[in-house]
Amino acid sequence: MLTIKDLHASIGDKEILKGINLTVNPGEVHAIMGPNGSGKSTLSAVLAGKETFTVTSGEVKFQGEDLLALAPEERSWRGIFLGFQYPIEIPGVTNVNFMKTALNEHRKHQGLPPITAAEFLKLMRQKMEIVEMDHSFSSRGVNVGFSGGEKKRNEIFQMAMLEPKLAILDETDSGLDVDALRIVATGVNKLKRPDNATVVITHYQRLLDYIVPDVVHILYKGRIIKTAGKELALEVEQRGYDWLIKEL
Amino acid sequence: MINEHYTLANGTPSRPQFSCRVPLSNSRQLFVVNGLVQETGKPFSFRLQAGKMMDELLQVISVRDDQGPTLLDVNTEFVFGNGSSGRLLCCSHAFTTGSVTTHETVEIHLEENACAEIIVMQHEHNEAHHQTRYTIHQEAGSQLKMTFLSLQGCVIENEIEVNLQGRNAVCDLSGLYLADGQQQITNRINVQHLVPDCHSSQLFKGILDNEARGRFYGKITVVPNAQRTDAFQANHNLLLSEKASIHTDPQLEIYADDVKCSHGATIGRLQPEELFYLRSRGIPKKEAELLQQLAFAYAVLVKIPNEVLRERMMDLVEKRLRGDC
Repeated sequence: MLTIKDLHASIGDKEILKGINLTVNPGEVHAIMGPNGSGKSTLSAVLAGKETFTVTSGEVKFQGEDLLALAPEERSWRGIFLGFQYPIEIPGVTNVNFMKTALNEHRKHQGLPPITAAEFLKLMRQKMEIVEMDHSFSSRGVNVGFSGGEKKRNEIFQMAMLEPKLAILDETDSGLDVDALRIVATGVNKLKRPDNATVVITHYQRLLDYIVPDVVHILYKGRIIKTAGKELALEVEQRGYDWLIKEL
Repeated sequence: MINEHYTLANGTPSRPQFSCRVPLSNSRQLFVVNGLVQETGKPFSFRLQAGKMMDELLQVISVRDDQGPTLLDVNTEFVFGNGSSGRLLCCSHAFTTGSVTTHETVEIHLEENACAEIIVMQHEHNEAHHQTRYTIHQEAGSQLKMTFLSLQGCVIENEIEVNLQGRNAVCDLSGLYLADGQQQITNRINVQHLVPDCHSSQLFKGILDNEARGRFYGKITVVPNAQRTDAFQANHNLLLSEKASIHTDPQLEIYADDVKCSHGATIGRLQPEELFYLRSRGIPKKEAELLQQLAFAYAVLVKIPNEVLRERMMDLVEKRLRGDC
């Protein structure tokens, strides 16, 4: 589904990703862990097409297509979804309008007519249930005045609406209390299917108690320094990253 | 309810096709062609008798066409009698083939405890120059809510002077100016707090593209003894191109000591973080930028209390931002 080969990316003169190699297959859950500043968020932003970063070399194929040649919206239409670490507040754009516009753009790309108002409301209600989101959120400005937990739930709600093939969740657990964490993780698990995949970027093992990964990668200074099964996350939790760095 | 200076048009007048022809629900339309009321041939003026409550919106549609002079002077007076309450939408359009200039003076008088809601929608064309001087007097306990939407016109200049001359008067001014090409839009405002205990607010926002130029001069004057004045002013601008410009000049002149006054002005560009967020959900760049602009305009439009009118204005603003009108 996703193949990253020797990916290098910079911001200004500073190289942040220094040769990433990663393969994600349908049905898999990958976790990317690593200390602060290792490049985790940069990797997710580069995959979603953020223009702040420049890809200097390497390639990314998504379902056989050159992902790096596509605009962020084109990536979204093809099934890439980025759950933001810090979801953006957009006063004046309601959640309903935002999602309706997004969904209809997806439908346009699939050759489908715009969704009817009734169908949309029904769909929205269903998907809001997945993350136990109150219906009143739909008429509010996107993320405006939402608590940290509500913002993250809104991210998973958007993911549920757009049904991506590959969801990249950037520190979805940061700033969440235990209840919110459970709701968010349950939402992600409910959306899991054999034909889609999830990449979870996290600092802590905690989230991985709920979203169990098939593969765990450790990112350090812009490179993946270790890849193993889910037990690696537990080991990191107990021993930190130092032993891995020393192994280098 | 409205004075004898005109009678309201019956049926649909035979004016050119444009969106304002479609009446809003619960509204009455009045056409003023080249400065004269279509039905009567006389200049327009408005007086709401004391204690009257207008239940309908009055839409005054001012049209310039090729039959009128190139330079037109128009003087209009609006009087809201004691304790009356009314709602007006005043829009101006030009259907001329060449350039036209309009010099307008508008006197607005709110007597004691009168309540008025006025929307001014400026929608002429690229060869239309329109200068308006609004002089507003508010007596004790009166409340004015006035919104200026400047959408189309080569040069638009609004000079707005507010005199809060009776205690507990409230004046809420807001404005949205959208300019592109080589449009020039100026708003020059002076809100004078002449007695204690009045409230005023000014929220003006602008979106400027291409080589458009905007100017905002906003002044709050608080005379000696106008204690417990509460006055607010904000001017926010979004520049969409390198060559678009805005000059913003907020001023406070305060001669009383127990007052609450604030002002702020900003000039910015579309937020790239917002744009990326919207695009990452599949919204194409152009559409995402439009959403951002609508979101920026929203704070002004949301001040229009009547829902039907607010939605009509939102539609119009969206069309304007899309380049459809």
